[in-house]
Amino acid sequence: MFGRIATIANNTVREAVRNKVLYALVFFAVLLIGVGVLLSTLSYVEQERIIQDVGLSAIRLFSALISIFLGVGLIHKEVDRRTIYTIVTKSVARWEFLIGKYLGLVATVWMQVIVMSVAFLAVSYLTGAPIHAQHFYALLLTAGEVAMLVAIATFFSAFTTPMLASFFTGGFYVVGHLTRDLKQLGSQSDVESVKTAANVLYRLLPDLESFNLTVEALHGLPVTPAEVWFPLLYGLAYISVVLLLGSVVFHFKDFR
Amino acid sequence: MIDRIACVLAVALLATGVDRIHAEIPSTPKSAKGEAFVPQPQLAKIASLGFDSLASDYYWLQAIQLVGGAVEDPSAHGYTIGRLVDIVTQLNPHVGHPYRFAAIWMTGSENDVRFANELLERAIENHPSDWRNYFYKGFNHFYYLAEYPEAADELEAAAGIAGSPAYLKRLVPRLRSQSEGLEVAAAMLSELHRSAPGPAARVEYEKALDEIETERRARMLDDARERFKKRHGRDIEQVEELAVGPKRVLRELPPEIHGWEWMLDNRTGEIVSSYYKARYQVHQHHRPGLFTPSAKTAKTNVREGSEQ
Amino acid sequence: MTTEGREVVRVEGLVKEFRPGLGLRAKRVLDGITFSVQENEIFGLVGPNGAGKTTMLKTLMGLIRPTAGTASILGHDIQESGFRKHVGFLPEVSYFYDYLTGVEFLDFYAKLSGVPRADRPERIATLLGWVGLSHAGDARLRTYSKGMLQRAGIAQALIHDPQIVFLDEPMSGLDPLGRKEIRDLILRLRSDGKTVFMNTHILSDVEMVCDRVAIIVEGKIRYEGQIEHFISSDQQRADVVLANVSAELASTLEERFRAELRDHGQQVEARVPEKIVSDLLRACLEAGAQVLSVTPVRVSLESIFLETVEETTHAREQEGL
Ligand SMILES: Nc1ncnc2c1ncn2[C@@H]1O[C@H](COP(=O)(O)OP(=O)(O)O)[C@@H](O)[C@H]1O
Ligand SMILES: [Mg+2]
Repeated sequence: MFGRIATIANNTVREAVRNKVLYALVFFAVLLIGVGVLLSTLSYVEQERIIQDVGLSAIRLFSALISIFLGVGLIHKEVDRRTIYTIVTKSVARWEFLIGKYLGLVATVWMQVIVMSVAFLAVSYLTGAPIHAQHFYALLLTAGEVAMLVAIATFFSAFTTPMLASFFTGGFYVVGHLTRDLKQLGSQSDVESVKTAANVLYRLLPDLESFNLTVEALHGLPVTPAEVWFPLLYGLAYISVVLLLGSVVFHFKDFR
Repeated sequence: MIDRIACVLAVALLATGVDRIHAEIPSTPKSAKGEAFVPQPQLAKIASLGFDSLASDYYWLQAIQLVGGAVEDPSAHGYTIGRLVDIVTQLNPHVGHPYRFAAIWMTGSENDVRFANELLERAIENHPSDWRNYFYKGFNHFYYLAEYPEAADELEAAAGIAGSPAYLKRLVPRLRSQSEGLEVAAAMLSELHRSAPGPAARVEYEKALDEIETERRARMLDDARERFKKRHGRDIEQVEELAVGPKRVLRELPPEIHGWEWMLDNRTGEIVSSYYKARYQVHQHHRPGLFTPSAKTAKTNVREGSEQ
Repeated sequence: MTTEGREVVRVEGLVKEFRPGLGLRAKRVLDGITFSVQENEIFGLVGPNGAGKTTMLKTLMGLIRPTAGTASILGHDIQESGFRKHVGFLPEVSYFYDYLTGVEFLDFYAKLSGVPRADRPERIATLLGWVGLSHAGDARLRTYSKGMLQRAGIAQALIHDPQIVFLDEPMSGLDPLGRKEIRDLILRLRSDGKTVFMNTHILSDVEMVCDRVAIIVEGKIRYEGQIEHFISSDQQRADVVLANVSAELASTLEERFRAELRDHGQQVEARVPEKIVSDLLRACLEAGAQVLSVTPVRVSLESIFLETVEETTHAREQEGL
């Protein structure tokens, strides 16, 4: 089982590595990190902070884009191009295939996050911007966030077209950053049903904002262990649920 | 070969055309178009989708461009600046300088100054141990609003914070006693001058300090004029009379700081510098129309500027 | 020639309906299919385009779920997946990961089907040899021709030495030489004791390799049986063209020899079973008739096939009336 999952994951990474588009995306991300240096000169104060802000944001934005971009086709493409036919007929259970693809893509996106992080740290170092533990926490949680996103994209990819999947995943990404505002809006409402609905959505939708330590990193604000480990734990649990659901849906799917 | 060269030339020609046309498109920053483009902070927060700090920096750069030459008179855009800094600091309340940036430029009206103080309030909430925010707030109370007790409170708070300049403690009792504010203004402006972020801003403070120094010298001349009246039983007709003849009251006139002259104001009979043509008043709100553009052109504002 | 071995595939009353979309009428593509495949035979599922062959195979492979009915492979229900390590599959349209080289491609499938690490290189080399791709092992699949991809697909189906192989149109996209190579490969599999199930609409291939066939038309099995059945002598007929046929001889031919007569004026054409041709000729010569020609008629799979298809179409037209 692990061998099969690893084989599929490995092959997914190999596909990504041999795909030139990715290099272009990473190149742009690194470029954007560099552009932060240019932008920062527009301001006469807190320039290092602006460099790091643009850098961290570029990493988060591009890793999210790459996750969605690759995730929405992850399973669908295999079904559509029928490459999956010869795989699930080789004593590979469908859920093994799904998990393998998922892990492969996560590994791919993480490799990109690492490349971008190295670029970020290099730019920070060269411009004399401070680097403290919070930067590493922020990057770690970015890795957590993309693992969430890839799981959601994989889930949708298991039963719908990339077009629809990118709408849904994009929607989850957007709403995932607003659930806290949503909850707050709900709690301010006088209507009980609105309150309940807001609360249900808050608990149902992924709370992606809890993976966002950008401000803490930029200003070196104190970060408690709970602010790092609980989001990671939450992410792990959420991903498990999403992938389990995806596996169930995928299990009953006809490959026509 | 020929057709290849033709192709290259055609592309070069077209690219030049594109560049020309592009140059025709107005490229003024959005913020220069006025506050209409500035969204509600709540909306900006939702639209930033978790990239709050990046959005905050975006609006910060917009605000800076206003001051950096996008508009003629930045403090006339005080409200727009305030709205921008409001967004900047709601999206990322941990920023430091933007609060004081707002305070420096939001001097166009009493409302602007009070708005700036609200932003400084937010700064104090988020940076309780940064004495500068109290200081700027105190300065606003003192200089623009003539609210001495409030000014004294803020300066007292600032003085209590480690790292604040020692003379702040001395300013507090003076503010409490509501004594005349020339020296307080000079002290505070010196502080602002000292901590100005660059030469352009420093020049602005120097101007304000010059104004205060001119006023100090004018007051010295006033004293001399009183002595002259006692000694001669008549008033001067020209300022130079103070330092000529055997019964002169001054050995020489203090130089006008810009190298201009001292003269008697036709209307009020006061000794004024020919540079300013009016006497300086510390608490300018006593003068009607302080916060109107005409008052500003009379150089009544203290400015800190960007280097752009 | 097949020994009555055990059944390795059993399909019973299988129905598959495709629902094009919510509210639209379901389309019945497989309509109560029943057949079985014996161990160590080459079984052909034959039918015209759109008959449902691929759908049948995909159902067997667990790629789609039957609407009703049951099917088992090697005694396991097709819903399970554990037995699939004994099964090889070549899909109809072979899309593979084209960024892999031939060797990487086979290594991937070898790993998936649990071929031990130590055996893989040798196994891969063997398979590449079998399908004639030894020279292209280090080239990416992207650079392969259609025929080469088809060969790679077959190699993939066999990489884990399965007991039974399912091939959907294995000869498509191949040149005549390629078809022969694949036919030989399929025959070799049988002599190695494997079972082969193949879908095809190319009858000559079936005649040349299959032991048994099932004919499927519009989702129903119309015929299932030994391939020898078609080519056995009692099924073979001959056309005999005669001249100077008397009325008396004509009636003798019809009654004694059960010949189908066609009158062409001067000449009469008689179709009779091949084994009585000599008797018939003797009788005709005795009766003074002139024998112009004798042509054996091959009652091939093709004619049965065409007949079956025509019957079905005819029946449907009548239903329609
Ligand atoms: N996914 C599908 N949805 C609807 N109809 C389908 C689908 N796949 C196949 N069919 C229909 O089922 C019939 C049988 O198709 P198929 O099994 O591919 O035939 P064959 O392989 O014998 O040529 C055809 O009429 C085809 O149009
Ligand atoms: Mg087919």
